[in-house]
Amino acid sequence: MVFVPKYILILFAIILIDYLAALTIEQLKGRLRLFYLVVSLIANIGMLAFFKYFNFANENLVTVFSWFGKEFHPVNLDIILPIGLSFHTFQSMSYTIEVYRGRQKAERHLGYFANYVLFFPQMVAGPIERYETLGNELREEHKPKYENFSDGFKLILFGLFIKMAVADNIAPFVNQVYSDPMKYNSLQVLGAVFLFSFQIYADFFGYSTIALGSARMLDIKIMDNFNTPYLSKSITEFWTRWHISLSTWFRDYLYIPLGGNRVTLPRWSINILIVFMVSGLWHGASWTFVVWGALHGLMILTERYTSKILKFKIREGWNVVNVLLTIKTFIVASFIWIFFRAEDFPKAKLIIKAMVKNWKIEKTDVPYLYAFVFSIVLIVIDIFLYNSRFDKRIGVTKIPVRWAVYAVLIFCLMALSGTQKFTFIYFQF
Amino acid sequence: MFKKIIIRIFALVIIIAGLNLIYNFTFYKKDLEEKCEQVVELRKKQPDTDIFYFAESSNFNVREDDSIKQSISEITNFFYPSLKITAINKPATHGGIYRHWLTHIDLTENKPKAVIITLNLRSFDANWIHSKLETPLQESVVLLKPYPKLLNRFLLSLNAFDNKTEQQRERDMIKEWETTQLEFPFPFKYKTVTEWDYHMAQGTYTKPDGSWDAEKITLACHYVKTYAFNIKENNPRVKDFDFMADWCHKNNVNLYFNLLAENLQYADSLVGKELVFLMKQNRDFLVNRYNKNNCKVIDNLEAVPGKEYTDQNWTTEHYSYKGRMAIAKNLANGLRTQFNNYYKAAY
Repeated sequence: MVFVPKYILILFAIILIDYLAALTIEQLKGRLRLFYLVVSLIANIGMLAFFKYFNFANENLVTVFSWFGKEFHPVNLDIILPIGLSFHTFQSMSYTIEVYRGRQKAERHLGYFANYVLFFPQMVAGPIERYETLGNELREEHKPKYENFSDGFKLILFGLFIKMAVADNIAPFVNQVYSDPMKYNSLQVLGAVFLFSFQIYADFFGYSTIALGSARMLDIKIMDNFNTPYLSKSITEFWTRWHISLSTWFRDYLYIPLGGNRVTLPRWSINILIVFMVSGLWHGASWTFVVWGALHGLMILTERYTSKILKFKIREGWNVVNVLLTIKTFIVASFIWIFFRAEDFPKAKLIIKAMVKNWKIEKTDVPYLYAFVFSIVLIVIDIFLYNSRFDKRIGVTKIPVRWAVYAVLIFCLMALSGTQKFTFIYFQF
Repeated sequence: MFKKIIIRIFALVIIIAGLNLIYNFTFYKKDLEEKCEQVVELRKKQPDTDIFYFAESSNFNVREDDSIKQSISEITNFFYPSLKITAINKPATHGGIYRHWLTHIDLTENKPKAVIITLNLRSFDANWIHSKLETPLQESVVLLKPYPKLLNRFLLSLNAFDNKTEQQRERDMIKEWETTQLEFPFPFKYKTVTEWDYHMAQGTYTKPDGSWDAEKITLACHYVKTYAFNIKENNPRVKDFDFMADWCHKNNVNLYFNLLAENLQYADSLVGKELVFLMKQNRDFLVNRYNKNNCKVIDNLEAVPGKEYTDQNWTTEHYSYKGRMAIAKNLANGLRTQFNNYYKAAY
């Protein structure tokens, strides 16, 4: 993942192909519409496949050939994944699909369409916006408003705090333990597994909030990508609160076309597994991501089947059972994250082994203080923001309280942020 | 709208100013200890110090078989037993770092009588300027920059310093070797370091069996890449040493630049007199530039014979005891202009 200036041509190619495809689809009738949609999808997915999955496919072919005692000598490409490719291809694809479905008029102005794909706050790591919302917002006239600057500033400040003070203070602990798990005591490995849950959340949530704030300053509203996901009572609910723009994308363009929940239970189960495995693969060209997705799918199936067998339904509101369910969901999600964070299966296995077997080894020094303090801060913030957003929640508090919060956030951001260089985790996708 | 925004910006500035004070009293010292322990040490030791000695590894590096392990600053101190010379060391440090240490000397209380700063010829070359060690070194001085402390801390979090990757630095280094023209007052066939290095690499040295002596060739090439340059006014290190000389002049602090010895013997035998010419020319540039006002250059360039260098197969300023002693003696003699009354012949 890197920014290479010539890769901008890829973006221009995607823009041009989808712009022309949508215009053509709108003008045509019958099966030719489908032909142009397929052309557009192949171009988008092909681009993604070439840059992201080519070498991965080769590696797998080598393995498959070896099963049959044959040798396969692939030509691996020395290419770097363009930054944010998975995000803007998905965004662009959603537009042509919507035009094909007749729910969206094709954009006649290339500039507006290009602006939709290239809209800088969310171009690199989402949220993956739909043309219906962002495209139309970009078409409207926008004037500077104080409220936008104010809300935008609040969101950017909060996002920076979440990324730089929370995520970047947790990262050293996690990275250290994950780099050589057998060196660490089981408790520390367990700590790293749970802390990674907070790190990835803070890292991505921070980015999304900064994107939201930057867009807001321009009077553009983009969607919330997170809604306190670790306060979910089940994995099913977790996926309505985590990376919402991607979950809804897969829901609309894969899950529903596969039949959604209007199919038999076994077929629905397969659909769920397909959607989550593809979602895993979207994250990265590695089987660990596929397993990560599959485990989430399996958890959703488990939840559905157990609730059916036990006739158990999660009630609204907060009570002891729901708190326990929330803790359970967090623990499950954290263990599944192991496959997301580990570079490969041997590393994931090592983490699990160290977690189970290293109880007796001495604790090695790790930078734990800020990591734990800011994780607790993140939990408190999530409780405070439950089903809301920072700018909305803070906007209704009294001025002295509000400014005191700003002061604390600024202080933590400026004086306590992590000092090592950690790029946004989702930039690699 | 603009009035509202300006009022809020003003409020923010006041808040940040207040937070800066809080940071100064709370986390600053801890951050400084973590990122730049040398300045913490400097402040701690200043009340008992007469002379500060800023150095890189040349000061404390010893040869394994040395029976006496004292550093250059400690040996120098033997000549001035009634004075306290305090060394502040950090490996790979150079003028760009020393300048920040220097400005953190407290001038109001216990002002030191003098400051000695090592002047390392190699630190002016592309090899060192674009070294991969530069990133951590630059990181170590962010908190010392002349801005509000809280802002410095924020800059550190943002990695807002000379924070190039190793690959970028290597590219810069190679570019400099390829493009910078070497200047000689006499005709010389190689125009750049790259050309010279390329020539040296073409089997300049062979073994008795006729095969290339790779070890010797590598060392000769390294000597070219290390010492083949002309120091000019736009060299970043010159700017750093200019700054230090001006600062000391302005604040009435006596300054000594301790120009370290380089292995001229090996440079001559491995590469030739042209390289030695450049080394001496660069020495003359520094001596002429800084021997003025309350600044003095102690010239040790030729003080240490080739066999007294610890690293015989590389270019370093790591000396055996005899080498360190030679430099310390020179330095002690140089200090006599100011501290003659304190001087005692130790050896």
